[in-house]
Parts: sequence; structure tokens; C-alpha cells
Amino acid sequence: MRLSFYPGCSLEGMANDYCESIYAVFKNLGIDLVEIEDWSCCGATAAHSLSEVMSVILPARNLAAAEKMRLDIICPCSLCFNRLRFSQKMIKKKIFHIPWEVTGNIRVLDMTRFLAKPSIIQLIKQCILKPLDSLKVVCYYGCQMVRPPKITGYADYENPQTLDLISSAAGAQVIDWSYKSTCCGASIGIGRREIVESLSKRILEKARQAGAEAVVVSCPLCQSNLDIVQKNRPEPPTPIFYVTELLRLSFTDKGNPQWFKMHVADPVPVLKAKGLL
Amino acid sequence: MHNSILDPETATEHDPCEQRELIGDRGDYFLNRIQGETGVNVSACYQCERCTNACPISQFMDIKPHQIIRYVQLGWRIRLLKSSTIWICLSCEMCSTYCPNEVGVAEIINHLRMMAASSSIAPKEKNLAVFHHTFLEELIKSGRINEFRLMRAYYSKPDILYAKIRNGTLKEEFQLAMTLLRKGRLKLSAPKSKAVKEIQKAYSQTRGEIV
Repeated sequence: MRLSFYPGCSLEGMANDYCESIYAVFKNLGIDLVEIEDWSCCGATAAHSLSEVMSVILPARNLAAAEKMRLDIICPCSLCFNRLRFSQKMIKKKIFHIPWEVTGNIRVLDMTRFLAKPSIIQLIKQCILKPLDSLKVVCYYGCQMVRPPKITGYADYENPQTLDLISSAAGAQVIDWSYKSTCCGASIGIGRREIVESLSKRILEKARQAGAEAVVVSCPLCQSNLDIVQKNRPEPPTPIFYVTELLRLSFTDKGNPQWFKMHVADPVPVLKAKGLL
Repeated sequence: MHNSILDPETATEHDPCEQRELIGDRGDYFLNRIQGETGVNVSACYQCERCTNACPISQFMDIKPHQIIRYVQLGWRIRLLKSSTIWICLSCEMCSTYCPNEVGVAEIINHLRMMAASSSIAPKEKNLAVFHHTFLEELIKSGRINEFRLMRAYYSKPDILYAKIRNGTLKEEFQLAMTLLRKGRLKLSAPKSKAVKEIQKAYSQTRGEIV
């Protein structure tokens, strides 16, 4: 199986560990990821805050490149996924002139939904060497991956399941909780730090109350918000894992501590205590 | 106190002490314009406040989401564009998703933000407005966003650094940057996308420049 891969800007910088773990996991699963050649930024919040045209044509360029490759796009970043899907919808409406040749007919898949397909879950279960059965986790989806349902196509936006399915396939004990898709504050921390702190702290608090030892996420921005808010905090850290980091951990005898060095909330003590590292 | 619900005959529509404002002399021009441009049926709102209750940051807003919709109905354009709500809205789409009448509240707020960005009204949340502009500038310059370059460009904008020094958050942010650098999360350089010229051309075209 071959898929085109749109990493997005975060995966080159802040979430480099995410990018590497994705490549490692897909290699284990035997699925070819082909990075979209010469991809560019999707415009993120800035483009859709300032100019509607730019928020359509910036992702359109990447859609056009993937259409040339004739491969479905897999998208690890929630916001990129949302923007690509939005752009696709607008391209089909034919409101704006798109400078690139693009039909919008290619499929844009959110990475977690791809991994949560029954066939891929089977594949994951076959690859597992070391089940994470002692680790209690909650899964946090954030907003852009599930909402608005008209764009993302998630029918279960109130109680999404993809990350839960993947994590439990990796053997972890997945706990149900109510804050799966509450916003973490996104990029507002740049201008209004107190807002992002109040939102992220509340999510962490609720995760701890639910009895979780770690949080599983798939969005680079959610990860960094929930991670950075734990800097200089007295409580023991609640590590924020990317879903692929957990998968990779269960696929090998030894995880890659190199990735865990990039976390602010150090996951090593928790994993060592559980005998997973 | 007189209970108006039990006695509809004597009930008045509003508190007589409350100061009432007149609808602008432009009538429903603004409402029609917003509805036409976004395709959202603003008139369907019956003020159930579901959006405000769903909103994770409504306590930080000066005009609450349901009031935004009401103000659009009333045509209070200036008041809307001067608000901080339109800048701090996270576009988390809670309001639009849970609205019983399918009013796209987040779409309206986002549209108002675009209107504010291209108007002559000074944004209430200057930091956020400048950040969005800086982000787009960096994107046009290099095709992809590098966090370090973005933050460097953002801090070199007028007043941003000064404001950080004044409210004493600069030290904290510098420490955060150092932590991230030590953790290897902040890349000082990143490959540019080869598509810069294409993107610049498209950007100029959207602004009506001749290329």
C-alpha cells in the first residue's frame, strides 16, 4: 500500500519526534509513505483569519501535488487535515480561481482514522512485541480533527473513538473521560498566555482525575500546549504521547529514548516504573 | 417583584430602566451582507445561548458568542469589529457544531475577523492580529513556517517586544525558548519550500496586484 504523506510545518520543527515515529510505525506496518514533493504550508490559523482566498489556495497547492502522484493523502496534523478538507470543499464549489490544476477529488485521510480501520488494527495487533498493558491512558483529540463535522466527516464528534481504538490495540488501558475534544487553546498563547494556560491546565487536571498516567494525542499543537504547561510544575509529570510514539514503543523491545528527550513532561520515569523502557 | 410570566397582560418586553438603542439607519444592510458573504442564516438565531455555554473561552470574551449573532442582526458593525472576541475566538467550532438552528457562529466570528483585518479599525487584541499578519508574511517569504524564524519576526514587530518587557513576561518566554532549544524542539533553520515564487505570485494576484 502506498500513500502520499503531508507532514506539515510543525513536524519539521517542534514535533520532529512525531514525524520520526510516524515513519518508523508505517515501516513496521509495511505501508509506504511518500512525502508530497515540495509541499508548502497549509496557511493554518493565520490564512483563514485574514484571507479566505489564501486559506483555499494554499492547501490547494498540496492537493494538486498529491493528485499528480495519484495517491491518497495521509495527514498527521489535525489543523492541516482540517484545512486540506476545507480547501477541497471550496475547490469543488468553484468560487475562487485556483492557480494550480486541481479537482479536489483525492481522498484526504486523517492519520488516526486510517490507523483505526479494522484491517489496520489487525495489522497493528500482529506487530506488537511488548503490549503496554500496565499503562493507563486517556485519549485527547482536540478540536480541529473532529470539528466541524461537515468538513472533517467525523460523525462521532462528541465521543470520537479512533485514538482509543489504536491505543487499546497497542495494549494500553484506555480510560473514558469527558474532555476528549475540548479545545486546548491552540495558538492563542502567543498573545494571551493566561487563556491557553487555563484551558490546558483544566484538561490535564481532568485527565489526572480520570486516573490517567499519560495522555495520547495526535495533534502537534495540542501536544506542545499540554506539554509546555507542565514546565516548572510541582506535580509529577503526566507525559503527553503522540499515538505513534506509543505504537512504536509497543512494536519494539526498547523504545527510542531520543524521542522522549524532546518532551518537557519527562515520560521516562512513568515508563520505567511500568517496566516499559 | 411583579412576575411577568404569570401575567402576560401586564408584561413589558423589557426592563423600563434599561437604555434602549436604536437600530442603525442602514436597516438590515449589514445583516444581509454578512448572510450573503458567509452563507450562514443569522436570522435563525433564537438566543438560546447554547453557543456561549459551549464556548471554552466565553469568560474571556467582551461580547459573548450569542451576543455576536444578535449584534449582527442589529447591524452594529463598529462595535463588533472593535471587540476582542473576534480576535481571541479559537475557531474550535464548538458553537457551530452544537447550534440547534445550524447558525455557523464560528464562521461569522471568523468573517468578522477578516473584515476587521481589512478595515481601518485598530484591533483590540493587537498581539494576536500582529501574530497572524507575521505568520502570513513568513509563509509568503519561505513557503513553510519555521517556529524560530516566525518568533524572531514576531518579536521584531514594533511594540511587541516593548509590551512583553513592560508586562514582565519576556524573561519567562525566553526561558521557555531556551528549554525548547535544549530539548531539540526549536530548529534554528529549516528548508524553504521551492514553491515560494508560485505562492508569492498567487498571493499578489489575490491582492489584485499585477504580476
